[in-house]
Amino acid sequence: MYKDFKGNKVYFSTGGLNLVNDKETLCFVHGAGQNHYSFTQQIRYFVSQGYNVVAPDFPSHGFSEGNQTTSIEEDMLWLAELLAFLKIEKATFIGHSQGCLTILELAEKKPELVMGLVFVAGAMSIPVNDFLIDTSINNPEKAYDFMVTWGQDSYGSFSISDWPGHNHLAEGNAVMKMNDPSVLSTDLKSCNLYENGKQAASKININCLAVLAKFDMMTPLKKGLQMVENIKQCDYKILECGHFLPIEKPKELNALIKNYLISLK
Amino acid sequence: MSEKYRFDTMSLHSGHVPDKETGSRAVPIYQTTSYVFKDTDEAAALYNMEVGGHLYTRISNPTIATLEQRLASLDGGVSCVACSSGMAAMHLVVTAICSNGDHIVASNKMYGANINLLQHTMTRFGIETEFVNPNNLEEIEKAIKPNTKLVFGEVIGNPGLDVMNVPEVAKICKKKNVPLAIDATFNTPFLMKPISHGANIVIHSLTKWIGGHGIAIGGAVINGGNFDWGNKEKFPTISGPHFAMNGISFWEEFGPSALTAKIRAEGMYNFGPSLSPNNAFYILQGIETLSLRMKKHIENTKMMLEFLKENEAVSWLRHPDLENHPDHKIAKKILPLGSGSIIVFGIKGGRDAGKAFIENVKLSSHLANVGDAKTLLIHPGSTTHSHLSSEAMKMSGLTDDMIRLSVGLEDIEDIKIDFEKGFKAAAKILSKRS
Ligand SMILES: Cc1ncc(COP(=O)(O)O)c(C=O)c1O
Repeated sequence: MYKDFKGNKVYFSTGGLNLVNDKETLCFVHGAGQNHYSFTQQIRYFVSQGYNVVAPDFPSHGFSEGNQTTSIEEDMLWLAELLAFLKIEKATFIGHSQGCLTILELAEKKPELVMGLVFVAGAMSIPVNDFLIDTSINNPEKAYDFMVTWGQDSYGSFSISDWPGHNHLAEGNAVMKMNDPSVLSTDLKSCNLYENGKQAASKININCLAVLAKFDMMTPLKKGLQMVENIKQCDYKILECGHFLPIEKPKELNALIKNYLISLK
Repeated sequence: MSEKYRFDTMSLHSGHVPDKETGSRAVPIYQTTSYVFKDTDEAAALYNMEVGGHLYTRISNPTIATLEQRLASLDGGVSCVACSSGMAAMHLVVTAICSNGDHIVASNKMYGANINLLQHTMTRFGIETEFVNPNNLEEIEKAIKPNTKLVFGEVIGNPGLDVMNVPEVAKICKKKNVPLAIDATFNTPFLMKPISHGANIVIHSLTKWIGGHGIAIGGAVINGGNFDWGNKEKFPTISGPHFAMNGISFWEEFGPSALTAKIRAEGMYNFGPSLSPNNAFYILQGIETLSLRMKKHIENTKMMLEFLKENEAVSWLRHPDLENHPDHKIAKKILPLGSGSIIVFGIKGGRDAGKAFIENVKLSSHLANVGDAKTLLIHPGSTTHSHLSSEAMKMSGLTDDMIRLSVGLEDIEDIKIDFEKGFKAAAKILSKRS
């Protein structure tokens, strides 16, 4: 769905349906260099499970226009304002990768908005090595290649997919190519700069869920587990896949989120 | 293009790992029409294409999905739909993109059925095609109109072997925001991947070199995921609300794979040109040796070209790897490993000599196919086009002395000996006449 928001055309997927006041809302927050297509196999699934879904393309990502945000703090503020604009008072936030940093920050600064938190392939900090940042600046397409190939375990790399006929590697690449070429480097720098994750995690007072990837080369499992330890109540599950878990293990992730949502009630 | 493994490895492994339950190393043949739902929730999710999985083999099947995933990875596409034949693939693409009132620009040097579909069948449904010379870039650009929704051509045309300058045509299509679909049957991804040259859609007749053994008819549409379908006025059935699945927009929900989702949800669902799982298995077996076979096809083709070049009985010889071929330069650029294993040549003595040649070869099979492991021949003048006069044949770009040879994998010395017998018979006709 397109809306004019803060003077720009902004897109957020609702799975093809209008938002309805009396439904619970799930907000999917994409990662670095991604857009709402990271959650293709979650969005419409949860819509038909009876939820409002809002999966925004952050400014300059996917179909959204506007100047890109340059820090996790700005990402968080933009998201909070978007929800206010859509008159959504509370939601369960599902973040992937950089999206996890955004929702950690949101949980600390805007706790009143947060009903539940699901961290997918996330951590409290995501330091990015200089090599990847440099590549993302000088040769973004090469950086997409690195990320996509590092981001899948061997199943994904062999195009093993529950989704008939899909080739994750090329598809992941195509999703990243939909963004402006400067988007990835700016996102990676935002990740690199963010330092408040540990503090934000320690202040969370609700039950959370972390779904982590055993073969994650972008946000290593070890870092995901450190986050789990820092949150008072965080269940976690480790899936046998790479960083792009929502694409590699959609059914498993959906089932875990579904059970978590039931547990919140 | 993001690839972790190289071509030969992907040919053997993409889309499949040993079966979790049984350990089966080979791809199992799921000879089933349908799949038991775990619960009603899952059933609804599958019908609605919310998550991946299989519900009915007309739409998808695990064996066929392995084939699709392998083809997508070999061609560098984001996704693929396999179907019952190369013609079904072409039909799926045209009907997914075009509606009544739309326009297509297509090469005039394509496989006859591709031309027929556009020229005679689609016109009945209000889809017009302008046929253009595949290498006249100006003509192609000029032919694109505001209602043009598709540009279509073959990398190596059948049977004339014209080579389309895919990278240049792709640039024009990009400028005009029209998708470029390429029939890559004659090259296979081993020789050239149209998507990496800017094409948006690839179709294959899997019947030919990809299957490679003349045992199964099949086709595939591979989606490059590199076309912006977002213009709702231009592509209303891809980016606007669609009747399937409560009026969703394929573009907004599936993005790079929008076309594939549409082909599955509409083309496979409503037209139903599904591949059989058994044929998918045969074709997968073929793909395992695709690069080995293509290398040998090319090697044998080179030797056959040398042989025919020298031969007294041959009046003319056409192959894009020959310097005198009008598209030789383009072929060298986009098909550096070789321009396929079809050779066309003329036989001295015209139609009757051609007939005598065909009737006197034994090892080479006289039939209507190409891309088999075995050497195949056809003489259009005495078969497919026997009802046409020499003049009428010329009008469709053929001559009555023309032989189309699909070079196989035999020891080429044996094929040469076989050809000598045919040439001897043809020479007799020629000498009787003179
Ligand atoms: C270039 C080309 N495209 C498409 C086809 C159609 O393929 P099929 O026979 O699998 O329908 C053929 C068949 O000869 C062909 O040569």
